[in-house]
Amino acid sequence: MDVAARTSANNYFEDFQPGQVIRHARGKTVTEMDNVLITNMVMNTAEAHFNAHRMQGGQGHGVFNDRVVFGGINLSMVIGLAAQDTAEQAVREVGMTNIRLKHPVYHGDTLYAFSEVLEVADGDDPKTGVVTFRHYGINQDDKLCVMADRRVALKRRG
Amino acid sequence: MSQDIVTRLKTDAAYWARGNRFGDFSPGQSFTHHWGRTITEGDNTTFSILTMHYNPRYTNAEFARAEGHPDTPVNPLLVFNTVFGLTVEDCSEGGGPFLGVDDLDYGVPVYPGDTVYADSETIDSRESEKRPDFGIVTWATRGVNQRGEEVIRFRRTNLVRKAR
Repeated sequence: MDVAARTSANNYFEDFQPGQVIRHARGKTVTEMDNVLITNMVMNTAEAHFNAHRMQGGQGHGVFNDRVVFGGINLSMVIGLAAQDTAEQAVREVGMTNIRLKHPVYHGDTLYAFSEVLEVADGDDPKTGVVTFRHYGINQDDKLCVMADRRVALKRRG
Repeated sequence: MSQDIVTRLKTDAAYWARGNRFGDFSPGQSFTHHWGRTITEGDNTTFSILTMHYNPRYTNAEFARAEGHPDTPVNPLLVFNTVFGLTVEDCSEGGGPFLGVDDLDYGVPVYPGDTVYADSETIDSRESEKRPDFGIVTWATRGVNQRGEEVIRFRRTNLVRKAR
């Protein structure tokens, strides 16, 4: 199949330069379905994500008053929102660091994604290059909820 | 009658608690986390579409094969979430927000049908200046597949409650 025809033309390695800041199309309202489904799918056993009775009954240890979205989902949702622009040409996800959960996300909150290019470097082979993105997720009230630095090997346009 | 049963249960039942507290952690201790998880094609598709992760290699088998993969690889963020999920009972279920992750490196790709296992070592445990009822604990976690090949490693930091 012609893989290039099935992806965007503007998100190859050469399209990214350090300092670039991108506001990604679309936001996503994180629902109970997203949180409980993925939390349970990955067998995360923390009731803070799936026991409303306990959390609303004051057993959130003074930190939360209701079920809170698992931070791994917040991170994944923000990178997902950034993926069409920053992962469609990915040949390999290399790693991440500086992942920080700054503000809780509750059911019904909406996440928007922004990305900043920190660094571009040659890849393991001449057909790829490695881009380091700093991804940011903010909510409907402009609170910064999550950030993460992600290294990814992208195809060169050639 | 039913109410009598409920009363007896709530009075007599021994609670089999799960999870650890701050005082249970000390640097150097290791955990072999429970269960393991075989990641299926359905998991991969569901996770990728709910997070709107539009890299077609996770949702289009033809695309993945054209790129040299034997099958659709598992979205690395699902690998991260699954390995993390398996660590929660031992590490963080006892209570407190997840603060961050550093030095996450992916290893060999995971394909549907592969089984991942998680192990962790406590590498730091200290008081929280902002929240005296909690401590801050850092673990080094490693995920491996059914052949023992490393699929991911990362360091995670959480607030952990002190009270039982």
